[in-house]
Amino acid sequence: MSFEPNKAENLDACIKCSACTALCPVAAVNPLFPGPKILGPDAERFRLEGLQIGTTLLNYCSKCKTCEITCPSGVKITEMITRAQEDAKISGGGKTLQFSIRDYLFGRAEYLGRLAMISPNLTNVLLKAPPVRKILAQVLGISSEAPLPAYNPKFKGTETGRQSKKQVVYFPGCFVTYNDPPTGQAIVKVLEHNGYEVIVPSFHCCGTPLEGNGYLNEAKEIAKKNLALMDPFMRAGIPLITGCTSCGLALKECPSFEEPESELQTYDLFEFLWQLHEQNELRENFNEVQVSLGYHASCHLKAQGIGTPSVRLLRLIPGVQVAELDQGCCGLSGSYGFKKEKYNTAMQIGNPLFNRVRQGVASGEFQSVITECGGCQVQIRHGSGIKTEHPIWVLMQAYGLN
Amino acid sequence: MSDYQVVIIGGGATGVGILRDLSMRGVSALLLEQGDLAHGTSSRFHGLLHSGARYAVKDPESATECIDENLILKKIAPHCISNTGGWFVQTQDDPPDYVEQWIKACAEAHIPIREISPSEAYRKEPLMSKSVLRVFEVPDATVDGFKIVWANAKSARRYGGQYKTYHQVERLVMEKERVVGVVTKNLLNGEEIMVGCDIVVNAAGAWASLVAGSIDIPLDVICDKGTLLAFNQRLFQRVINRLRPSGDGDIFVPHETITILGTTSQFVDSPQENDPNEEEVKKLLQIGEQVLPNLTKYRVIRAFSGVRPLHREDHDVPGVNVPGINKEEGRNVSRSFVLIDHGVHNGVQGFISIVGGKFTTYRLMAEKVSDWVAEKLGNMTPCRTATEDLLPEIPENLWKKAAQLLPYAPVGKMLERLQEDTESVLGEIQRDPRKGQMLCECEMVSMAEVEKTAADEDTHHLADIRRKTRLGMGTCQGAYCTYRALPLLWKRQEKYDAIEDELRDFLNQRWKGIRPILWGQQLRETELTRAIYASILQVRG
Ligand SMILES: Cc1cc2nc3c(=O)[nH]c(=O)nc-3n(C[C@H](O)[C@H](O)[C@H](O)COP(=O)(O)OP(=O)(O)OC[C@H]3O[C@@H](n4cnc5c(N)ncnc54)[C@H](O)[C@@H]3O)c2cc1C
Ligand code: SF4
Ligand code: SF4
Repeated sequence: MSFEPNKAENLDACIKCSACTALCPVAAVNPLFPGPKILGPDAERFRLEGLQIGTTLLNYCSKCKTCEITCPSGVKITEMITRAQEDAKISGGGKTLQFSIRDYLFGRAEYLGRLAMISPNLTNVLLKAPPVRKILAQVLGISSEAPLPAYNPKFKGTETGRQSKKQVVYFPGCFVTYNDPPTGQAIVKVLEHNGYEVIVPSFHCCGTPLEGNGYLNEAKEIAKKNLALMDPFMRAGIPLITGCTSCGLALKECPSFEEPESELQTYDLFEFLWQLHEQNELRENFNEVQVSLGYHASCHLKAQGIGTPSVRLLRLIPGVQVAELDQGCCGLSGSYGFKKEKYNTAMQIGNPLFNRVRQGVASGEFQSVITECGGCQVQIRHGSGIKTEHPIWVLMQAYGLN
Repeated sequence: MSDYQVVIIGGGATGVGILRDLSMRGVSALLLEQGDLAHGTSSRFHGLLHSGARYAVKDPESATECIDENLILKKIAPHCISNTGGWFVQTQDDPPDYVEQWIKACAEAHIPIREISPSEAYRKEPLMSKSVLRVFEVPDATVDGFKIVWANAKSARRYGGQYKTYHQVERLVMEKERVVGVVTKNLLNGEEIMVGCDIVVNAAGAWASLVAGSIDIPLDVICDKGTLLAFNQRLFQRVINRLRPSGDGDIFVPHETITILGTTSQFVDSPQENDPNEEEVKKLLQIGEQVLPNLTKYRVIRAFSGVRPLHREDHDVPGVNVPGINKEEGRNVSRSFVLIDHGVHNGVQGFISIVGGKFTTYRLMAEKVSDWVAEKLGNMTPCRTATEDLLPEIPENLWKKAAQLLPYAPVGKMLERLQEDTESVLGEIQRDPRKGQMLCECEMVSMAEVEKTAADEDTHHLADIRRKTRLGMGTCQGAYCTYRALPLLWKRQEKYDAIEDELRDFLNQRWKGIRPILWGQQLRETELTRAIYASILQVRG
């Protein structure tokens, strides 16, 4: 294994405090998972010696990145783990063939989505059919209980073709593109309502699923392609916006976005809207919306370090009550919780959150849940049975849009 | 009356090598060591299994010894050696005319070398300076001093050899013109005993003149202190030497999980003077930077020093004049070893001293001493240490079991350390899986292994556990594992000093190596460590 100077510095920064492991959601429920410190910086010193250790355990990291936000030394723990996964894959260790094929597929959400677009309805029927799920479980190791999201006709981008001097580029992400186009449309409408022209280039996947399944290099390749698509807009100073928190994190972490001017260009949707609010540029003639909501902050939103702008914004709307649930990770982490051997771990991780949601609804504290992340929405619905959607829908109502 | 045929003084590489060799020949021998095995220079060294290339120009005799022993040890002790290979790199700061001289000398000493292109070299070692001129590959390797010393001791024991640690030899006992035994003091309980024998071997390294001095035999051993820096990780994958006459700070050795840069050379008055200082650290970093740019950016976890035992009188290798290196300094004294028969030199029979040499040649030194001893005793059994494996093969099923019980540990290292104790440690983990947790996470030493080592009859201090397991030798330098180990000592408190003394001694030893390198990340780590011990255990310092 070879390394570059910055990797060496990254490893040197660890002071062994164990804060990362103390807060890792997987380590908390799975006693066999030794946690980010051991699999990251500790094992890294042995990997540099040529010893591949704990290769099967590496795959139990859900890539939620809680460890990275926790670390007082800024160690890129998840990246270390992903790279180790990748090296183990090259050297043939760690996974069965079955899981390798599955993780290969899950890493490529974009291709899966495109495939499903041939006939979304048929795909959905098939994905719901118990015999199909049994086959998926046996052949590919996809849990038959896991809440695989339904596919929808592909997101088309903007429909109005509205033009304006104020422009934004919208990055929909695979979940919106293939599973939840209406949310994408809603985001476009809200931006247009605020006077923006919304440009939607045909982006590729953001790379998070690849990273999550241990394909770091490919994730970087795909980021480069997106960057090339972004380039003209970046040069023109047009901001990039996404409503998906994982895409947002990936775009912000994208290596070539590290130059400060271009980093400023990437926004989480509500981060952007809140900024408009602060600059008195947001349309705030909201209708009253009588609703109480439970808000779940996804791990990848937390990792962006921008707080919870959607909560702040929704609280500007008359009638809206938002309770922050603050129960940690939902457990799904992209495709992690769909995997047969990880389904239980994922459910255990999410349990405190599911309980809080059920109690909140039972006691009348709130009626439904909002969270930006499509994966979290699917998992919370699955774990608690409570309606969960993207916060943009509340804003739609407040603006009287539909 | 003799208790043993031979008493060996000194439990470094040389002493245990002799114990094993003699035991294999059927000679009854007892080794006495004042500390723990390998606590002298044999654990305070660079860890380089020399190919001889470093000595080829100046000291061809040493070079030949090194390449021969290098090949032998790789064969008989592969578990203690990492066959990394090594490079000699010529930088712009190195004398250009040295190269051809060196190539010729390597050929004469039969050291195989191969030139590789700088571009290939950069690809293999991305951190290396991009301005090196020429790169040559040599069969250098790295050797684990603790492991090989303990492997020798355990192998010797299997052949009936015995050793006692924490036994200091206070004086030799003479009868007429003959040494007939030694008086040794058990440093743990103060007891003095007399051990009778036919021959005494002085393998006390840098302390050898003190031992000979107890019967007024003068022995000119120069104490040459060398300081080394341990970096937090493997910066290079192979040994990197400078292609120039040997000087300070010119070798990087990737050793286990760390990289060691060294060394300096300074004559000191006694082997006890092994405190590294800031000047030495600065000097090493400055020189090392010529090979690894921005070296100060990389984390140093400690500095440590060892004392080379050099013999002045008998050296017959003329010192080469190297600009900038004072003739009086250590590198111009022969690194080859001498065997001093005090019968011939001082008229005292039954007493021999072995002085000088290198770790790399410990086996050869032991063979020469044992040949001499065997001849005196009329033992005709030939030496077998060049061909017989040092460690027994680790059975396949133990490997499998260990990998299964410890899914994320470098189990190979554990098996090599534990050898015949592996089975009982694994059994313990099987009974109580919690003991499979890593007590020392930096160096990945399990609780069960520490518990077993703590209970070992040869273990008397926390530092002994460190030498046997690598506990506390990693990034955190004992911040977490030290207090975690305390309850295990407590369980065996009859063997140890009071727990608070063990704790303080151990932390102070770690502190000695950290003090000269307090900057950057290691400073943060140290402050965290101090906070932990001050606030939780009320240990201040
Ligand atoms: C900084 C440095 C770097 C080095 N690097 C390398 C290298 O890379 N490669 C290499 O091949 N060599 C290297 N060497 C040389 C090598 O380390 C030594 O030559 C070798 O370890 C000496 O082993 P020894 O057994 O003779 O001495 P020691 O290991 O010092 O053993 C002598 C033992 O005798 C014990 N003793 C002393 N007096 C008494 C007494 N009265 N009673 C009982 N016991 C006593 C001591 O406690 C000690 O443990 C290096 C040396 C130094 C200092
Ligand atoms: S990314 Fe999440 S699951 Fe993976 S080690 Fe870090 S905290 Fe644990
Ligand atoms: S939180 Fe950061 S510094 Fe602390 S142990 Fe984890 S990686 Fe190391």
